[in-house]
Amino acid sequence: MSHVSLRRAWTAMALTGVLALGLAACGGDDSEGGEGDSSAPIRIGSSLPLTGEFSQPGQAAKQGYEVWQKMVNDAGGLLGRDVELVIKDDASNQNTVVSDFNALIGQDKVDLLLGTFSSLLNLPASAVAEKNQMLYVEPAGGSPDMFNRGFKYLFFTQQATADKQGKVFAEWVAALPEDQRPKTAAYPTLDDPFAAPNVAGIQEVLEAAGIETVYQETYAIDTKNFDTIVNAMKNADPDVVVHGAQFEDGIGLTRSMLKAGFAPDMFYETNAPSFGAQYSDGVGAENTEGVLYAVSHSPEADTPGNAEFVAKYQEMFGTDEVPEDAADGFAAAQVMQAAVEAVGSIDDQGALADWLRENEVDTILGSLSWDETGAPTGEFLIGQWQNGKPEVVLPADVSTADIEIGWKPGASG
Amino acid sequence: MNASTEAVTPAPSRPWLQPIWLGRAVALAAGVLLVVYPMVSDDIYYQNMIILSLIFAVGASGLNIISGFAGYISLGQGAFLGLGGYTIGVLAVRFPDASPWLWVPLGGVVAAGVALILGFVSLRSSGPAFVIITVAFLFLVQVIAVNWVSLTNGTTGLTLPLPTWDRDIMNWPFYYVLVAILALQLLMTWWIRRTKLGMGLIAIREDETKAATIGINLPVQKIVAFMASALFVGMAGAVYGYYLTFIDPRGMFSILISVQLILSMLIGGKATLWGPVIGAFLVEWLNEMANNDWGGGNTRLFLFGGLLVVVVIFLPKGIIPAIESVLSWRRTKGKAGLVGARIGTGGSLASITDRVQLVDRSEIPDRALLEVRDLKRHFGGVKAVDGASFTVPEGSITGLIGPNGSGKTTLFNLIDDTIRAESGEILLDGRRIDGLRSWQRAHLGLGRTFQITRLFREMTVLENVVAVQRRFSIAQLGRIAVSGAEAKAAEELLEFVGMRAFRDQQARALSYGQQKLVELAQILMLDPKLILLDEPAGGINPVLIERMGEMIRELNSYGKTFLIVEHNMPFVLGLCDPIHVLARGRTMASGTPEEIQRDPAVIDAYLGDDFVLEEKVAP
Amino acid sequence: MTELLQNLLLGLLLGGVYALAASGLTLIFGVMRVINIAHGAYLILASFITYWLWDSFGIDPLLAIVITTPIVFALGWVTYKVVVSPIRTAPMASTVLLTFGLALVVEGAMGEIWGNNSTAIRPSYADESFIMGGLFLPKAQVYGGLIAVVVLVLLWGVLTKTWLGRAIRAAATNPSSAELVGIKVSAVAALVFALGIAAAGAGGAITGVLYPFVPGSHYQWIARLLAIVVLGGLGSLNGAVLGAIMFGLAETLTSAYVSPSWATAVPYAIVFLVLLIRPQGLLGTRLREDAVAA
Repeated sequence: MSHVSLRRAWTAMALTGVLALGLAACGGDDSEGGEGDSSAPIRIGSSLPLTGEFSQPGQAAKQGYEVWQKMVNDAGGLLGRDVELVIKDDASNQNTVVSDFNALIGQDKVDLLLGTFSSLLNLPASAVAEKNQMLYVEPAGGSPDMFNRGFKYLFFTQQATADKQGKVFAEWVAALPEDQRPKTAAYPTLDDPFAAPNVAGIQEVLEAAGIETVYQETYAIDTKNFDTIVNAMKNADPDVVVHGAQFEDGIGLTRSMLKAGFAPDMFYETNAPSFGAQYSDGVGAENTEGVLYAVSHSPEADTPGNAEFVAKYQEMFGTDEVPEDAADGFAAAQVMQAAVEAVGSIDDQGALADWLRENEVDTILGSLSWDETGAPTGEFLIGQWQNGKPEVVLPADVSTADIEIGWKPGASG
Repeated sequence: MNASTEAVTPAPSRPWLQPIWLGRAVALAAGVLLVVYPMVSDDIYYQNMIILSLIFAVGASGLNIISGFAGYISLGQGAFLGLGGYTIGVLAVRFPDASPWLWVPLGGVVAAGVALILGFVSLRSSGPAFVIITVAFLFLVQVIAVNWVSLTNGTTGLTLPLPTWDRDIMNWPFYYVLVAILALQLLMTWWIRRTKLGMGLIAIREDETKAATIGINLPVQKIVAFMASALFVGMAGAVYGYYLTFIDPRGMFSILISVQLILSMLIGGKATLWGPVIGAFLVEWLNEMANNDWGGGNTRLFLFGGLLVVVVIFLPKGIIPAIESVLSWRRTKGKAGLVGARIGTGGSLASITDRVQLVDRSEIPDRALLEVRDLKRHFGGVKAVDGASFTVPEGSITGLIGPNGSGKTTLFNLIDDTIRAESGEILLDGRRIDGLRSWQRAHLGLGRTFQITRLFREMTVLENVVAVQRRFSIAQLGRIAVSGAEAKAAEELLEFVGMRAFRDQQARALSYGQQKLVELAQILMLDPKLILLDEPAGGINPVLIERMGEMIRELNSYGKTFLIVEHNMPFVLGLCDPIHVLARGRTMASGTPEEIQRDPAVIDAYLGDDFVLEEKVAP
Repeated sequence: MTELLQNLLLGLLLGGVYALAASGLTLIFGVMRVINIAHGAYLILASFITYWLWDSFGIDPLLAIVITTPIVFALGWVTYKVVVSPIRTAPMASTVLLTFGLALVVEGAMGEIWGNNSTAIRPSYADESFIMGGLFLPKAQVYGGLIAVVVLVLLWGVLTKTWLGRAIRAAATNPSSAELVGIKVSAVAALVFALGIAAAGAGGAITGVLYPFVPGSHYQWIARLLAIVVLGGLGSLNGAVLGAIMFGLAETLTSAYVSPSWATAVPYAIVFLVLLIRPQGLLGTRLREDAVAA
């Protein structure tokens, strides 16, 4: 009766227990597992949302990690050792991401970690790394809440946290001459720890500049139908629409605006427009003209290593299009690499973290630095679609094109 | 357990009551291994896997109470984990100085409290409607967690501080607290399975209407079960939240968690003690394997989806019951089953039990025990009962006859509230009962058998009898039913009807006649004043018919009043006085057997087109 | 006033598409007492097939219905034969679990074949509208609504005017008697299941044009569809249509006048309230497994 199936369920457990004991006996039961062998590859573990809700950016980040691995290995490796990636799929699922990072540390015995994608997954995952005192460099998880937990090993490798990503844009709008400056604004936003603070940050600056808020709503993640939101916005008739979006809802809201024949003077959207061809396919290339967005990376940017990264990416994946998220992944790996090379060893992960807190790192996203909490202290780029192509338009010193005022759906392509 | 009774147990439905010491030894060894594992291995991969398995084991084991025992399949079980998580999250953020562990029990209380509310609102639904309501409940809780920003911080979620204890034992507190919660959960499941509550829940699963007629208070039972299925799950959820250190609506109220819980329960075996636990460990292990070694996300969907399909089609009862039936098949192979055994000769009620209250016939007052006035119930255009009125004198054996379709069984259904009457009055012992529910009527002294017996098929004979609840109180729900005084009384009643040798036989294995006898013993457990028998002599052999008559007479001699529907005319005429004749939903004649036999209207009704003696065939 | 009118109009257009998608679910329940949780998954599957036809062969997605629907019909028939028919007599809760499992498998398959990225179908008219006064009627929604009405009328015609329809209704009301008069109930059931899935397929072809989708989108659809059929009364086709229109309006109006963040709560709240207050729905018969055998 119960004993038979009990035995069945426990056999695996018992066996692994014995196995683990054996391994522990051989390996000396400490976390430096194969450290003695200096020619063995350095194993770097990560878990990414390759399926599920966040699969879009997750897949791209994986490509970024892979490009980095290829380039490092081609250049002789990290600390003279080859780099091996162990990337798991967490299916955009929180308990899976926790399991994955536990498995990476406990089972795969990786030497270093790279973060996952989105704040929702990085929040629980970074706690696993923190508990195990391992450096946690994450490419995308800019929710301000990430950085008020007093973590020592966490670093975010974009230029700014979510609440500050639209700052450059907002300040530019606020500084426009009186006759060009919008009078009214609408703020539809996805209820999400990334999009909402992003829009709130912009709204704060614009309201301070005297731009009246005529519409403001958050909508749930599974909202499909944007017609009513657009209809309400249309009736409020704002001069500028600032939309806090992920990908799908960005497409959905834009298409609803087109259907309703509602084209505000200025249209800013987080995230979605940075998805390149996927975005222009989604809303139609002719409708992209003049759309503004925050972006961390530009393939044209004159940052150290950027051209090589873009070339390598195009070579490896056979597309001209380089997703922003791949670049973010690459930059995260660059940051980790810089710390490892500067410290000269991977044994003391606390030293790696300390070094990052003290120093600036040059990445393809530009030069990055961090405050005590691991939050970055830089400024985000603002992009704009012009003639069917994404360009960087702000800040002026790194821009690839001049900013144009006005969203002109149906104009280009 | 009494060893001598074990010897005659051929196919028990209670695996954990079996003294299979080898099995217990393995369980003990597994338990010890579980407890020492973190001390001998610091592999956090397996520690994490076990921690998650423990959480799911508690969840599935809790689900087992409402879904396994009571048969109400819930896809909202994950919500209770989430509620526990949110309890600890909200409170830990509000009171940063207090240890989060303090809030773990509270997580259980909150979950049980919400279960109480959900229990109240979902009582009206059953079957698929219940499943849908539980899904809706899960998503509704999620939407509330998203939108009640001031409490839950919305989609941004709540972050808990990292634990402050030594990192060498980082997982230990989570691990051992969960082991303790699982132990409590299993203890509760084990205990419930042995109590009146557990019997009542299984009775509800097997036949809810019938359960009500033997005194089981359906809403209270279901609500208590709901709360029991949430209590420890909420605590496990609180530990889960603390372990993740991050609580947000999407992760905490993901439907996939509920699916994993239900899958664990089904694979292991529902309504068993260890099934959900084994299932939880197995499913979580498969989950991790799929994720780490077999390709990740889409594979996991194939795995979970495919397993659900396969389990529902090929292994509807789960691993433990499947193994059980294989074992019992091997053990009984070549041996004659008990079903063919002789029915006992029975005994005199007075000498064997004090469960049935005996009354001196001379003290019985001359009055109506049951009075039915102008009772009506129509089904569409069919006037099944259309103004029936009659009385059953106290201490009598009253007969109720009539052609097929004259509304006799419907009348019984109205009297015990299996169907609610549209109008009319029913008085028992001078008290109006037509507004009362079935179990309330049973508590007032109404017992009823069914035309086609409705025993609880998956329960043993003994369990069928002890499932009866004579009166209602929360305290008595916690009384042990399968042994002790209740079991003793049940065995005595089984002795009376001659079915004691069959006590551990499953009801579905009995012959039709045997089922009739057990059903009689079952309602005697209620110690009813009035016993309604629907064709007691139908479909059974002549010897048994005679025995049935004897028992009715004996019970009657101790003061029990009977109302009997029967087609077997000699049986009725020899036993009953007075007799009421029902035609087209009304009483058309009443009187002594002699008067009825001579009544021309009765003869006309019986010799009319309707007069066909129905062949009752045992199912 | 214009705003309200516009919102009502949008709600009605939405309701038409919902009605088509929900009709199959209610049909399958009405005849077979199976709540097909995989219904949303088949709907998304149809969207993907439509996408594939549009992307690879340039076939207009709405015209592609004539190709998509038969494909999905065949898939539904196979599904019935392979996994649903073995458990025809099992309790309803088992079929709920089974079809849930099915939904997960279909989701996984779509992820393997088409990837987990958001997919959008954009024919030339996708983002155009008819303008009437101050009101706008999105073209894709109007076409989609019209097609939905045509398919629904066809379905209704089949169910009420043909021998097949009578057989289906006979099998639904009393399977054993239907067998007696020569109706092969199992064949009818397979046909109904396939027909129901095909209706979802037609709906999926339309919704694919209206909204972007990923394999996981089926959860949102099944939640809505269940709410609609529960509201209308499980098993009632007219009820599903009525429920769908009311639902489309409720969703639109909540989004417009309460808050978009509560709009997604509408389906769950409706299910909850309807099952509590009027379990049989607007036009349905009472949903009870334990009908008294008297």
